[in-house]
Amino acid sequence: MHFWQDVLFGNRMITLMAAMVLVLQITMVTQRWLVTSIRAFAVQSFLLACIANTIAYYNNAPHIYAAALFMLVVKAILLPVIFERLVSKIEIRQEIEPLINAPITVIITGLLTLLAYVVAESLHRPDEPMGPASLGHNTLAVAIALFLIGFFMMVNRRKALTQVLALLSLENGIFLAAISLTYGMPMIVEIGIFFDVLVAGMVLAILVYRIRETFDSTDVSRLSRLKG
Amino acid sequence: MIEKIFSTLIQIALVLLLSPLVTGFNRAFKARVQTRRGPSLIQPYRDLYKLLRKGMVIPETASWIFTATPYVLFVTTLLASLLIPTVSANAPLSLFGGVLAVVYLLALGRFFLALGGLDTGSSFGGLGSSREMTISAIAEPALMLAVFTVAIGAGSTNLSTVALSALGQSWRFLAPSQMLAFAALFIVLIAETGRIPVDNPATHLELTMIHEAMILEYSGPYLALIEWAAFIKQLVLMTILVNVFFPFGLATDWSAGSVLFSLALFIAKLLLLAIVVAVVEVSNAKMRLFRVPELLAIAFVLSALALVSTFLFQA
Repeated sequence: MHFWQDVLFGNRMITLMAAMVLVLQITMVTQRWLVTSIRAFAVQSFLLACIANTIAYYNNAPHIYAAALFMLVVKAILLPVIFERLVSKIEIRQEIEPLINAPITVIITGLLTLLAYVVAESLHRPDEPMGPASLGHNTLAVAIALFLIGFFMMVNRRKALTQVLALLSLENGIFLAAISLTYGMPMIVEIGIFFDVLVAGMVLAILVYRIRETFDSTDVSRLSRLKG
Repeated sequence: MIEKIFSTLIQIALVLLLSPLVTGFNRAFKARVQTRRGPSLIQPYRDLYKLLRKGMVIPETASWIFTATPYVLFVTTLLASLLIPTVSANAPLSLFGGVLAVVYLLALGRFFLALGGLDTGSSFGGLGSSREMTISAIAEPALMLAVFTVAIGAGSTNLSTVALSALGQSWRFLAPSQMLAFAALFIVLIAETGRIPVDNPATHLELTMIHEAMILEYSGPYLALIEWAAFIKQLVLMTILVNVFFPFGLATDWSAGSVLFSLALFIAKLLLLAIVVAVVEVSNAKMRLFRVPELLAIAFVLSALALVSTFLFQA
Protein backbone atom coordinates (compact mmCIF):
# COMPACT_ATOMS: atom_id res chain seq x y z
CA MET A 1 0.00 0.00 0.00
CA HIS A 2 1.36 3.41 -0.94
CA PHE A 3 1.34 6.13 1.64
CA TRP A 4 -1.14 8.20 -0.34
CA GLN A 5 -3.68 5.40 -0.10
CA ASP A 6 -3.73 5.82 3.67
CA VAL A 7 -6.88 7.59 4.81
CA LEU A 8 -4.94 9.47 7.48
CA PHE A 9 -2.75 11.01 4.79
CA GLY A 10 -5.85 12.05 2.86
CA ASN A 11 -7.26 13.57 6.01
CA ARG A 12 -4.07 15.59 6.50
CA MET A 13 -4.14 16.86 2.95
CA ILE A 14 -7.79 17.86 3.21
CA THR A 15 -7.17 19.64 6.50
CA LEU A 16 -4.21 21.47 5.02
CA MET A 17 -6.12 22.56 1.94
CA ALA A 18 -9.07 23.66 4.07
CA ALA A 19 -6.69 25.83 6.11
CA MET A 20 -5.35 27.37 2.90
CA VAL A 21 -8.92 28.05 1.80
CA LEU A 22 -9.51 29.92 5.04
CA VAL A 23 -6.28 31.90 4.62
CA LEU A 24 -7.36 32.86 1.10
CA GLN A 25 -10.74 33.97 2.36
CA ILE A 26 -9.03 36.26 4.86
CA THR A 27 -6.74 37.49 2.07
CA MET A 28 -9.81 38.41 0.08
CA VAL A 29 -11.40 40.30 2.97
CA THR A 30 -8.32 42.41 3.62
CA GLN A 31 -7.16 42.76 0.05
CA ARG A 32 -6.93 46.21 -1.49
CA TRP A 33 -6.46 45.17 -5.10
CA LEU A 34 -9.42 43.88 -7.00
CA VAL A 35 -7.41 41.69 -9.37
CA THR A 36 -5.64 40.01 -6.45
CA SER A 37 -9.03 39.36 -4.90
CA ILE A 38 -10.26 37.68 -8.07
CA ARG A 39 -7.14 35.52 -8.27
CA ALA A 40 -7.44 34.58 -4.60
CA PHE A 41 -10.99 33.48 -5.35
CA ALA A 42 -9.79 31.40 -8.30
CA VAL A 43 -7.14 29.66 -6.18
CA GLN A 44 -9.68 29.09 -3.41
CA SER A 45 -12.06 27.42 -5.86
CA PHE A 46 -9.21 25.34 -7.22
CA LEU A 47 -8.35 24.13 -3.70
CA LEU A 48 -12.00 23.25 -3.07
CA ALA A 49 -11.99 21.23 -6.29
CA CYS A 50 -8.89 19.45 -4.97
CA ILE A 51 -10.64 18.71 -1.68
CA ALA A 52 -13.63 17.30 -3.53
CA ASN A 53 -11.29 15.23 -5.66
CA THR A 54 -9.54 13.81 -2.60
CA ILE A 55 -12.83 12.84 -0.99
CA ALA A 56 -13.97 11.25 -4.24
CA TYR A 57 -10.71 9.29 -4.48
CA TYR A 58 -10.97 7.77 -1.02
CA ASN A 59 -14.68 7.00 -1.34
CA ASN A 60 -14.63 5.82 -4.97
CA ALA A 61 -17.53 8.14 -5.69
CA PRO A 62 -17.70 9.17 -9.36
CA HIS A 63 -20.35 11.83 -8.86
CA ILE A 64 -18.02 13.79 -6.57
CA TYR A 65 -15.41 13.76 -9.32
CA ALA A 66 -18.06 15.39 -11.50
CA ALA A 67 -18.74 18.02 -8.85
CA ALA A 68 -14.99 18.71 -8.57
CA LEU A 69 -14.76 19.07 -12.32
CA PHE A 70 -17.66 21.54 -12.37
CA MET A 71 -16.04 23.48 -9.54
CA LEU A 72 -12.78 23.63 -11.46
CA VAL A 73 -14.26 24.70 -14.76
CA VAL A 74 -16.91 27.13 -13.56
CA LYS A 75 -15.44 28.75 -10.50
CA ALA A 76 -11.69 28.38 -10.85
CA ILE A 77 -11.45 29.17 -14.57
CA LEU A 78 -14.60 30.56 -16.20
CA LEU A 79 -15.83 33.09 -13.65
CA PRO A 80 -12.39 34.54 -12.78
CA VAL A 81 -11.68 35.01 -16.49
CA ILE A 82 -15.01 36.78 -16.99
CA PHE A 83 -14.34 39.02 -14.00
CA GLU A 84 -10.80 39.88 -15.05
CA ARG A 85 -12.06 40.81 -18.51
CA LEU A 86 -14.72 42.96 -16.89
CA VAL A 87 -12.12 44.71 -14.72
CA SER A 88 -9.95 45.51 -17.71
CA LYS A 89 -13.03 46.65 -19.62
CA ILE A 90 -14.26 49.11 -17.02
CA GLU A 91 -10.69 50.22 -16.41
CA ILE A 92 -10.59 50.41 -12.65
CA ARG A 93 -8.02 48.42 -10.80
CA GLN A 94 -7.67 49.79 -7.31
CA GLU A 95 -11.28 49.87 -6.51
CA ILE A 96 -12.01 48.16 -3.23
CA GLU A 97 -13.20 50.61 -0.63
CA PRO A 98 -14.18 48.76 2.50
CA LEU A 99 -16.43 50.49 5.01
CA ILE A 100 -14.31 49.26 7.92
CA ASN A 101 -10.52 49.61 7.95
CA ALA A 102 -8.16 46.66 7.62
CA PRO A 103 -7.14 45.98 11.25
CA ILE A 104 -10.74 45.97 12.52
CA THR A 105 -11.71 43.80 9.55
CA VAL A 106 -9.08 41.27 10.58
CA ILE A 107 -10.34 41.27 14.16
CA ILE A 108 -13.95 40.80 13.05
CA THR A 109 -12.84 38.00 10.74
CA GLY A 110 -11.08 36.33 13.62
CA LEU A 111 -14.19 36.59 15.79
CA LEU A 112 -16.31 35.11 13.01
CA THR A 113 -13.86 32.22 12.72
CA LEU A 114 -14.14 31.62 16.45
CA LEU A 115 -17.93 31.71 16.18
CA ALA A 116 -17.75 29.13 13.39
CA TYR A 117 -15.54 26.98 15.58
CA VAL A 118 -18.00 27.16 18.48
CA VAL A 119 -20.90 26.21 16.21
CA ALA A 120 -18.98 23.34 14.60
CA GLU A 121 -17.78 22.13 18.01
CA SER A 122 -21.35 21.37 19.05
CA LEU A 123 -21.68 19.03 16.05
CA HIS A 124 -18.32 17.38 16.61
CA ARG A 125 -18.18 13.70 17.59
CA PRO A 126 -14.68 12.78 18.77
CA ASP A 127 -15.49 9.07 19.14
CA GLU A 128 -16.18 8.75 15.44
CA PRO A 129 -13.83 6.17 13.83
CA MET A 130 -11.49 7.47 11.18
CA GLY A 131 -12.47 6.06 7.80
CA PRO A 132 -13.15 7.17 4.23
CA ALA A 133 -16.72 8.09 5.16
CA SER A 134 -15.70 10.58 7.83
CA LEU A 135 -13.07 12.29 5.68
CA GLY A 136 -13.20 16.03 5.89
CA HIS A 137 -15.71 16.17 8.74
CA ASN A 138 -13.34 18.41 10.64
CA THR A 139 -13.56 21.04 7.91
CA LEU A 140 -17.11 21.97 8.93
CA ALA A 141 -15.75 24.85 11.02
CA VAL A 142 -13.92 26.18 7.97
CA ALA A 143 -17.06 25.87 5.86
CA ILE A 144 -19.09 27.85 8.39
CA ALA A 145 -16.28 30.40 8.69
CA LEU A 146 -16.21 30.85 4.90
CA PHE A 147 -19.94 31.37 4.95
CA LEU A 148 -19.86 33.97 7.74
CA ILE A 149 -16.84 35.81 6.37
CA GLY A 150 -18.48 35.86 2.94
CA PHE A 151 -21.53 37.52 4.46
CA PHE A 152 -19.32 40.03 6.25
CA MET A 153 -17.42 40.76 3.06
CA MET A 154 -20.69 41.44 1.30
CA VAL A 155 -21.82 44.09 3.78
CA ASN A 156 -18.33 45.51 4.13
CA ARG A 157 -17.85 46.35 0.47
CA ARG A 158 -19.36 49.19 -1.45
CA LYS A 159 -18.43 48.18 -4.96
CA ALA A 160 -20.63 45.85 -6.94
CA LEU A 161 -17.95 43.51 -8.27
CA THR A 162 -16.48 42.80 -4.86
CA GLN A 163 -19.95 42.04 -3.57
CA VAL A 164 -20.35 39.50 -6.33
CA LEU A 165 -17.04 37.94 -5.33
CA ALA A 166 -18.20 37.86 -1.72
CA LEU A 167 -21.39 36.07 -2.74
CA LEU A 168 -19.41 33.50 -4.69
CA SER A 169 -16.97 32.84 -1.85
CA LEU A 170 -19.96 32.42 0.46
CA GLU A 171 -21.22 29.82 -1.98
CA ASN A 172 -17.80 28.16 -1.78
CA GLY A 173 -18.44 27.70 1.93
CA ILE A 174 -21.72 25.97 1.20
CA PHE A 175 -19.97 23.72 -1.31
CA LEU A 176 -17.32 22.77 1.24
CA ALA A 177 -19.95 21.94 3.86
CA ALA A 178 -21.95 19.87 1.38
CA ILE A 179 -18.97 17.96 0.04
CA SER A 180 -17.33 17.24 3.38
CA LEU A 181 -20.43 16.27 5.32
CA THR A 182 -22.66 14.48 2.84
CA TYR A 183 -20.38 13.52 -0.09
CA GLY A 184 -21.99 16.30 -2.06
CA MET A 185 -25.59 16.80 -2.98
CA PRO A 186 -27.38 14.66 -5.57
CA MET A 187 -25.94 15.12 -9.03
CA ILE A 188 -28.91 16.97 -10.44
CA VAL A 189 -28.88 19.48 -7.58
CA GLU A 190 -25.14 19.93 -8.04
CA ILE A 191 -25.51 20.66 -11.75
CA GLY A 192 -28.37 23.03 -10.99
CA ILE A 193 -26.27 24.95 -8.47
CA PHE A 194 -23.29 25.32 -10.79
CA PHE A 195 -25.42 26.42 -13.66
CA ASP A 196 -27.11 28.83 -11.31
CA VAL A 197 -23.80 30.23 -10.11
CA LEU A 198 -22.50 30.61 -13.64
CA VAL A 199 -25.60 32.43 -14.84
CA ALA A 200 -25.72 34.56 -11.71
CA GLY A 201 -22.06 35.44 -12.15
CA MET A 202 -22.57 36.47 -15.76
CA VAL A 203 -25.76 38.42 -15.05
CA LEU A 204 -24.08 40.21 -12.18
CA ALA A 205 -21.07 40.97 -14.35
CA ILE A 206 -23.36 42.58 -16.93
CA LEU A 207 -25.17 44.41 -14.15
CA VAL A 208 -21.87 45.75 -12.80
CA TYR A 209 -21.03 46.97 -16.26
CA ARG A 210 -24.41 48.70 -16.59
CA ILE A 211 -24.06 50.34 -13.18
CA ARG A 212 -20.66 51.59 -14.23
CA GLU A 213 -22.03 52.95 -17.51
CA THR A 214 -24.86 54.78 -15.74
CA PHE A 215 -23.03 56.24 -12.76
CA ASP A 216 -19.37 56.27 -13.85
CA SER A 217 -18.69 54.23 -10.75
CA THR A 218 -19.55 50.81 -9.41
CA ASP A 219 -20.42 52.12 -5.97
CA VAL A 220 -23.76 50.51 -5.18
CA SER A 221 -24.72 53.17 -2.64
CA ARG A 222 -25.31 55.47 -5.59
CA LEU A 223 -28.15 53.26 -6.70
CA SER A 224 -30.33 54.97 -4.11
CA ARG A 225 -30.33 57.98 -6.40
CA LEU A 226 -32.58 56.04 -8.73
CA LYS A 227 -35.51 56.63 -6.36
CA GLY A 228 -38.12 58.89 -7.96
CA MET B 1 28.38 14.96 32.86
CA ILE B 2 31.47 14.60 30.66
CA GLU B 3 29.20 13.90 27.74
CA LYS B 4 27.23 17.09 28.43
CA ILE B 5 30.36 19.23 28.50
CA PHE B 6 31.60 17.51 25.39
CA SER B 7 28.35 18.11 23.48
CA THR B 8 28.28 21.73 24.63
CA LEU B 9 31.79 22.31 23.32
CA ILE B 10 30.98 20.61 20.04
CA GLN B 11 27.86 22.71 19.60
CA ILE B 12 29.75 25.93 20.38
CA ALA B 13 32.37 25.04 17.77
CA LEU B 14 29.71 24.04 15.26
CA VAL B 15 27.71 27.25 15.70
CA LEU B 16 30.79 29.49 15.59
CA LEU B 17 32.15 27.83 12.47
CA LEU B 18 28.92 27.20 10.60
CA SER B 19 27.21 30.56 11.03
CA PRO B 20 29.55 32.62 8.77
CA LEU B 21 29.29 29.87 6.15
CA VAL B 22 25.49 30.16 5.97
CA THR B 23 25.77 33.91 5.49
CA GLY B 24 28.54 33.47 2.93
CA PHE B 25 26.48 30.92 1.04
CA ASN B 26 23.47 33.21 1.08
CA ARG B 27 25.52 36.09 -0.35
CA ALA B 28 27.25 33.94 -2.95
CA PHE B 29 23.97 32.43 -4.12
CA LYS B 30 22.34 35.85 -4.31
CA ALA B 31 25.23 37.14 -6.40
CA ARG B 32 24.95 34.16 -8.71
CA VAL B 33 21.21 34.71 -9.21
CA GLN B 34 21.89 38.36 -10.04
CA THR B 35 24.58 37.14 -12.50
CA ARG B 36 27.35 38.78 -10.50
CA ARG B 37 30.59 37.01 -9.67
CA GLY B 38 30.04 37.76 -5.96
CA PRO B 39 32.30 37.18 -2.95
CA SER B 40 33.65 33.72 -2.27
CA LEU B 41 31.93 31.39 0.19
CA ILE B 42 34.49 31.98 2.90
CA GLN B 43 34.52 35.77 2.64
CA PRO B 44 32.72 36.19 6.02
CA TYR B 45 35.50 34.21 7.74
CA ARG B 46 38.10 36.45 6.12
CA ASP B 47 36.18 39.55 7.18
CA LEU B 48 35.99 38.35 10.77
CA TYR B 49 39.70 37.49 10.79
CA LYS B 50 40.61 40.87 9.35
CA LEU B 51 38.44 42.79 11.82
CA LEU B 52 39.73 40.84 14.80
CA ARG B 53 43.32 41.86 14.00
CA LYS B 54 42.61 45.55 13.54
CA GLY B 55 42.82 48.31 16.09
CA MET B 56 39.69 50.14 17.01
CA VAL B 57 38.41 53.65 17.51
CA ILE B 58 36.15 54.31 20.46
CA PRO B 59 34.23 57.60 20.42
CA GLU B 60 35.06 60.05 23.22
CA THR B 61 31.41 60.31 24.21
CA ALA B 62 31.03 56.55 24.68
CA SER B 63 30.38 55.14 28.16
CA TRP B 64 30.89 51.59 29.48
CA ILE B 65 27.73 50.50 27.68
CA PHE B 66 29.48 50.97 24.37
CA THR B 67 32.27 48.59 25.37
CA ALA B 68 29.97 46.09 27.11
CA THR B 69 27.53 45.77 24.21
CA PRO B 70 29.61 43.55 21.88
CA TYR B 71 30.33 41.07 24.65
CA VAL B 72 26.76 40.95 25.94
CA LEU B 73 25.40 40.57 22.43
CA PHE B 74 27.87 37.84 21.51
CA VAL B 75 27.44 35.86 24.70
CA THR B 76 23.62 36.01 24.81
CA THR B 77 23.38 34.95 21.19
CA LEU B 78 25.82 32.10 21.67
CA LEU B 79 23.98 30.99 24.79
CA ALA B 80 20.69 31.03 22.88
CA SER B 81 22.26 28.83 20.25
CA LEU B 82 23.05 26.20 22.89
CA LEU B 83 19.35 25.86 23.76
CA ILE B 84 18.30 24.67 20.31
CA PRO B 85 18.78 21.20 18.84
CA THR B 86 21.17 21.40 15.90
CA VAL B 87 22.70 18.03 15.15
CA SER B 88 21.57 16.08 18.16
CA ALA B 89 17.90 16.19 19.11
CA ASN B 90 19.03 16.89 22.67
CA ALA B 91 20.30 20.44 22.84
CA PRO B 92 23.29 20.73 25.20
CA LEU B 93 21.71 23.23 27.57
CA SER B 94 18.07 22.28 27.02
CA LEU B 95 17.66 21.72 30.75
CA PHE B 96 18.15 25.43 31.35
CA GLY B 97 15.30 26.70 29.27
CA GLY B 98 13.13 26.36 26.27
CA VAL B 99 12.10 28.53 23.42
CA LEU B 100 11.09 31.41 25.70
CA ALA B 101 14.67 31.60 26.94
CA VAL B 102 15.91 31.65 23.34
CA VAL B 103 13.57 34.46 22.35
CA TYR B 104 14.38 36.60 25.36
CA LEU B 105 18.12 35.98 25.29
CA LEU B 106 18.03 37.30 21.75
CA ALA B 107 15.89 40.19 22.99
CA LEU B 108 18.46 40.98 25.69
CA GLY B 109 21.21 41.12 23.09
CA ARG B 110 19.08 43.36 20.89
CA PHE B 111 18.34 45.65 23.84
CA PHE B 112 22.03 46.14 24.47
CA LEU B 113 22.71 46.66 20.80
CA ALA B 114 20.08 49.40 20.72
CA LEU B 115 21.63 50.97 23.83
CA GLY B 116 25.06 50.78 22.22
CA GLY B 117 23.68 52.56 19.18
CA LEU B 118 22.24 55.31 21.36
CA ASP B 119 25.26 55.56 23.62
CA THR B 120 27.61 57.54 21.41
CA GLY B 121 25.00 60.22 20.84
CA SER B 122 25.35 60.15 17.06
CA SER B 123 22.11 60.73 15.25
CA PHE B 124 22.46 57.64 13.04
CA GLY B 125 22.82 55.35 16.04
CA GLY B 126 19.64 56.69 17.58
CA LEU B 127 17.82 56.38 14.30
CA GLY B 128 18.90 52.77 13.86
CA SER B 129 18.04 51.89 17.46
CA SER B 130 14.57 53.35 17.29
CA ARG B 131 13.84 51.54 14.02
CA GLU B 132 15.21 48.26 15.32
CA MET B 133 13.08 48.46 18.45
CA THR B 134 9.97 49.38 16.44
CA ILE B 135 10.35 46.39 14.19
CA SER B 136 11.21 43.96 16.94
CA ALA B 137 8.28 45.18 19.03
CA ILE B 138 5.91 44.21 16.22
CA ALA B 139 7.75 41.03 15.27
CA GLU B 140 7.74 39.68 18.80
CA PRO B 141 3.98 38.96 19.15
CA ALA B 142 4.00 37.09 15.84
CA LEU B 143 7.07 35.14 16.92
CA MET B 144 5.62 34.25 20.31
CA LEU B 145 2.24 33.16 18.94
CA ALA B 146 3.91 30.93 16.36
CA VAL B 147 6.15 29.49 19.05
CA PHE B 148 3.18 28.79 21.32
CA THR B 149 1.41 27.02 18.47
CA VAL B 150 4.34 24.67 18.10
CA ALA B 151 4.60 24.27 21.87
CA ILE B 152 0.92 23.31 22.17
CA GLY B 153 1.40 20.59 19.58
CA ALA B 154 4.28 19.10 21.55
CA GLY B 155 3.03 19.88 25.05
CA SER B 156 6.27 21.62 26.01
CA THR B 157 8.18 24.78 25.26
CA ASN B 158 11.46 22.93 25.41
CA LEU B 159 12.81 22.83 21.87
CA SER B 160 14.39 19.41 22.30
CA THR B 161 11.06 17.95 23.41
CA VAL B 162 9.32 19.70 20.52
CA ALA B 163 11.79 18.31 18.01
CA LEU B 164 11.56 14.83 19.49
CA SER B 165 7.78 14.82 19.40
CA ALA B 166 7.81 16.09 15.82
CA LEU B 167 10.30 13.35 15.01
CA GLY B 168 7.85 10.81 16.38
CA GLN B 169 5.00 11.85 14.09
CA SER B 170 5.61 11.60 10.38
CA TRP B 171 3.63 14.05 8.24
CA ARG B 172 3.19 16.35 11.19
CA PHE B 173 4.57 19.31 9.26
CA LEU B 174 1.56 18.97 6.96
CA ALA B 175 -0.80 19.98 9.75
CA PRO B 176 -2.22 23.43 8.95
CA SER B 177 -1.15 24.88 12.27
CA GLN B 178 2.46 23.90 11.56
CA MET B 179 2.37 25.28 8.03
CA LEU B 180 0.90 28.60 9.10
CA ALA B 181 3.31 28.90 12.01
CA PHE B 182 6.17 28.16 9.62
CA ALA B 183 5.02 30.91 7.26
CA ALA B 184 4.74 33.38 10.14
CA LEU B 185 8.17 32.44 11.49
CA PHE B 186 9.66 32.80 8.02
CA ILE B 187 8.46 36.41 7.84
CA VAL B 188 9.83 36.99 11.33
CA LEU B 189 13.16 35.50 10.21
CA ILE B 190 13.30 37.95 7.31
CA ALA B 191 12.52 40.88 9.61
CA GLU B 192 14.80 39.87 12.47
CA THR B 193 17.84 39.15 10.34
CA GLY B 194 17.40 42.37 8.38
CA ARG B 195 16.79 40.82 4.99
CA ILE B 196 15.65 42.74 1.96
CA PRO B 197 11.97 43.53 2.15
CA VAL B 198 12.64 44.91 5.64
CA ASP B 199 16.27 46.03 5.75
CA ASN B 200 19.15 45.87 3.32
CA PRO B 201 22.28 44.40 4.90
CA ALA B 202 24.49 45.56 2.03
CA THR B 203 23.86 49.30 2.14
CA HIS B 204 24.81 52.30 4.19
CA LEU B 205 22.10 54.53 2.81
CA GLU B 206 20.87 56.61 5.72
CA LEU B 207 17.24 56.63 4.63
CA THR B 208 16.85 52.88 4.81
CA MET B 209 19.45 51.29 7.05
CA ILE B 210 18.46 49.76 10.36
CA HIS B 211 21.06 47.32 11.63
CA GLU B 212 23.95 49.09 9.93
CA ALA B 213 22.95 52.43 11.47
CA MET B 214 23.22 51.05 14.99
CA ILE B 215 26.70 49.64 14.57
CA LEU B 216 28.09 52.53 12.60
CA GLU B 217 30.41 53.63 15.41
CA TYR B 218 31.89 50.19 16.02
CA SER B 219 35.18 49.11 14.50
CA GLY B 220 37.82 46.42 14.81
CA PRO B 221 37.28 43.44 17.14
CA TYR B 222 34.06 44.92 18.55
CA LEU B 223 32.59 45.09 15.07
CA ALA B 224 33.77 41.52 14.48
CA LEU B 225 31.93 40.36 17.62
CA ILE B 226 28.75 42.15 16.59
CA GLU B 227 28.88 40.80 13.05
CA TRP B 228 29.57 37.32 14.32
CA ALA B 229 26.65 37.60 16.75
CA ALA B 230 24.45 38.63 13.82
CA PHE B 231 25.55 35.52 11.89
CA ILE B 232 24.84 33.33 14.91
CA LYS B 233 21.44 34.90 15.43
CA GLN B 234 20.55 34.16 11.85
CA LEU B 235 21.72 30.57 12.33
CA VAL B 236 19.65 30.25 15.51
CA LEU B 237 16.44 31.42 13.85
CA MET B 238 17.05 29.29 10.77
CA THR B 239 17.78 26.25 12.89
CA ILE B 240 14.53 26.74 14.77
CA LEU B 241 12.73 26.84 11.43
CA VAL B 242 14.35 23.75 9.94
CA ASN B 243 14.72 21.55 13.02
CA VAL B 244 11.43 22.23 14.76
CA PHE B 245 9.29 21.90 11.67
CA PHE B 246 11.34 19.42 9.63
CA PRO B 247 13.35 17.41 12.16
CA PHE B 248 14.06 14.41 9.89
CA GLY B 249 17.37 12.79 10.55
CA LEU B 250 18.12 14.47 13.88
CA ALA B 251 20.50 12.24 15.81
CA THR B 252 18.98 10.83 18.99
CA ASP B 253 22.13 9.05 20.13
CA TRP B 254 25.85 9.71 19.90
CA SER B 255 26.94 7.04 17.45
CA ALA B 256 29.25 8.42 14.80
CA GLY B 257 27.08 7.32 11.89
CA SER B 258 23.89 8.99 13.00
CA VAL B 259 25.73 12.16 14.07
CA LEU B 260 27.47 12.50 10.70
CA PHE B 261 24.26 11.78 8.81
CA SER B 262 22.41 14.31 10.94
CA LEU B 263 25.15 16.90 10.44
CA ALA B 264 25.06 16.49 6.66
CA LEU B 265 21.28 16.71 6.61
CA PHE B 266 21.32 19.72 8.92
CA ILE B 267 23.71 21.63 6.67
CA ALA B 268 21.68 20.65 3.61
CA LYS B 269 18.47 21.91 5.21
CA LEU B 270 20.15 25.16 6.29
CA LEU B 271 21.53 25.79 2.82
CA LEU B 272 18.12 25.08 1.30
CA LEU B 273 16.54 27.62 3.61
CA ALA B 274 19.33 30.08 2.79
CA ILE B 275 18.48 29.62 -0.89
CA VAL B 276 14.81 30.33 -0.20
CA VAL B 277 15.75 33.47 1.74
CA ALA B 278 18.04 34.56 -1.09
CA VAL B 279 15.26 34.06 -3.64
CA VAL B 280 12.91 36.16 -1.53
CA GLU B 281 15.59 38.84 -1.28
CA VAL B 282 16.34 38.89 -4.98
CA SER B 283 12.72 38.93 -6.08
CA ASN B 284 11.57 41.73 -3.78
CA ALA B 285 12.31 45.40 -3.50
CA LYS B 286 13.04 47.00 -0.16
CA MET B 287 9.83 48.12 1.51
CA ARG B 288 9.20 51.62 2.71
CA LEU B 289 9.78 51.67 6.46
CA PHE B 290 6.15 52.46 7.18
CA ARG B 291 4.99 49.44 5.18
CA VAL B 292 7.04 47.05 7.33
CA PRO B 293 4.42 46.93 10.12
CA GLU B 294 1.91 45.72 7.52
CA LEU B 295 4.20 42.84 6.58
CA LEU B 296 4.63 41.94 10.22
CA ALA B 297 0.88 42.25 10.74
CA ILE B 298 0.49 39.55 8.09
CA ALA B 299 2.89 37.40 10.08
CA PHE B 300 0.84 38.07 13.20
CA VAL B 301 -2.43 37.12 11.49
CA LEU B 302 -0.82 33.94 10.14
CA SER B 303 0.43 32.88 13.54
CA ALA B 304 -2.89 33.73 15.18
CA LEU B 305 -4.60 31.58 12.55
CA ALA B 306 -2.07 28.85 13.27
CA LEU B 307 -2.99 28.95 16.93
CA VAL B 308 -6.73 28.92 16.13
CA SER B 309 -6.36 26.06 13.69
CA THR B 310 -4.77 23.80 16.29
CA PHE B 311 -8.21 23.86 17.87
CA LEU B 312 -10.17 24.18 14.65
CA PHE B 313 -8.96 20.89 13.19
CA GLN B 314 -8.50 18.86 16.32
CA ALA B 315 -10.66 16.05 14.94
